[in-house]
Amino acid sequence: MMEHQHYSGLISLDIPLISNLDVWNNIALIKLYKENMPKREARKLVLKLLHRYHLEDIAYKRSTSLTEEQKFCVMLLRAAMVHEAIIVIDRPFIILHNSKDSRFMEDALEKIDDLYKQCHILEYIWNKSRYINNDAE
Amino acid sequence: MKILVEHIGLSFLHTTQSLKETLLFAFKVVSRILDKNAYNSAVRMVLTDQIYFTSVQILPLFLTVAAIFGSVLVVILMLMVKELGMVQYIGRFMIGFMVNELSPFITVLLIALRSSAAINTEIAVMKVNQEIKTLEVFHIDTINYLFLPRIINGVISVVLMNCLFSIVVLATGLLFSKLIFGMSFNLYADVLLNSIYFSDLLILLLKCITYGVFITLIPILYGLRATNELTSIPVSVLNGMVKVFIAIVIIEVLSLIIKLM
Repeated sequence: MMEHQHYSGLISLDIPLISNLDVWNNIALIKLYKENMPKREARKLVLKLLHRYHLEDIAYKRSTSLTEEQKFCVMLLRAAMVHEAIIVIDRPFIILHNSKDSRFMEDALEKIDDLYKQCHILEYIWNKSRYINNDAE
Repeated sequence: MKILVEHIGLSFLHTTQSLKETLLFAFKVVSRILDKNAYNSAVRMVLTDQIYFTSVQILPLFLTVAAIFGSVLVVILMLMVKELGMVQYIGRFMIGFMVNELSPFITVLLIALRSSAAINTEIAVMKVNQEIKTLEVFHIDTINYLFLPRIINGVISVVLMNCLFSIVVLATGLLFSKLIFGMSFNLYADVLLNSIYFSDLLILLLKCITYGVFITLIPILYGLRATNELTSIPVSVLNGMVKVFIAIVIIEVLSLIIKLM
């Protein structure tokens, strides 16, 4: 894990969205900071990515006005912005606590599967049955 | 007696420790200001936003305060000068007192009241919400991304707003010098220009820069001292703002001592 630290895009309730930034800024932050991507280009990229989830209308909202699904998608996109991202989702059902199974999460991951190298989900063993594609170790 | 000595000793140690921490943090941040690698798209965006919040949004209020406060003080000053028969020193009073002393003091007070409190709260809320941790997890340097733009903005805002305040005060001075002394524009400009000294301007600039650094750096430092509890936010803002006002007074006194030397 340590050797992949720079590539890991963590998604966790303990790593919240930045509250004084709007959605597009939260997602673009890594590109703006690490790759020095110009603001206009970064915004265009984020809007294109939000379109994959049909969420362009939340681009200028703050995290407090998002639903849990929207928040999850934004966190996912933010994590996917890490170069050669290895996405690690920490107990997704804590973020998506109204979801009965992993369908929404798996759909969301599939829509951006070109943006990350690997994805790992850390979950309690008693939640195993909630996963549709169950290949847990 | 022993308890009193212990209490004095403890508060002295606490104060020196706090001062040491502030100065070390200031050194760390100022050294980053000179590092060109610290600047990127994200930092520039934060800097632009901060300048807008601190210097542009406050403009109507600032100009009103400058015009009202400046006019009242200029009238009082000119009437006193007239009464004491010291009209020949009017330029020295206007530049030495109004521009060099009063203008930066009021400017820094207005900016500190608005922006220092906002910065302190913002950083404390980020600390409580674990948003600082978010930045660390994504390897975003908090000094470069959060602190540097706010401190640079502090310096830029205090220097520019002080210039603006001085211009407003000198403009009202022109109006009242005509009304009270019957001075023409040319004479007023002449009197002012003859009263300006390079050393005074240099001290004024250094004072504004120091104000700008400390009225943003101290709130950041105290914001970071917030714990994970919501109740620590008002405590952190209260302590931070008290220290900001102490810093303003210390800087003012130090600048006066330097001027007297």
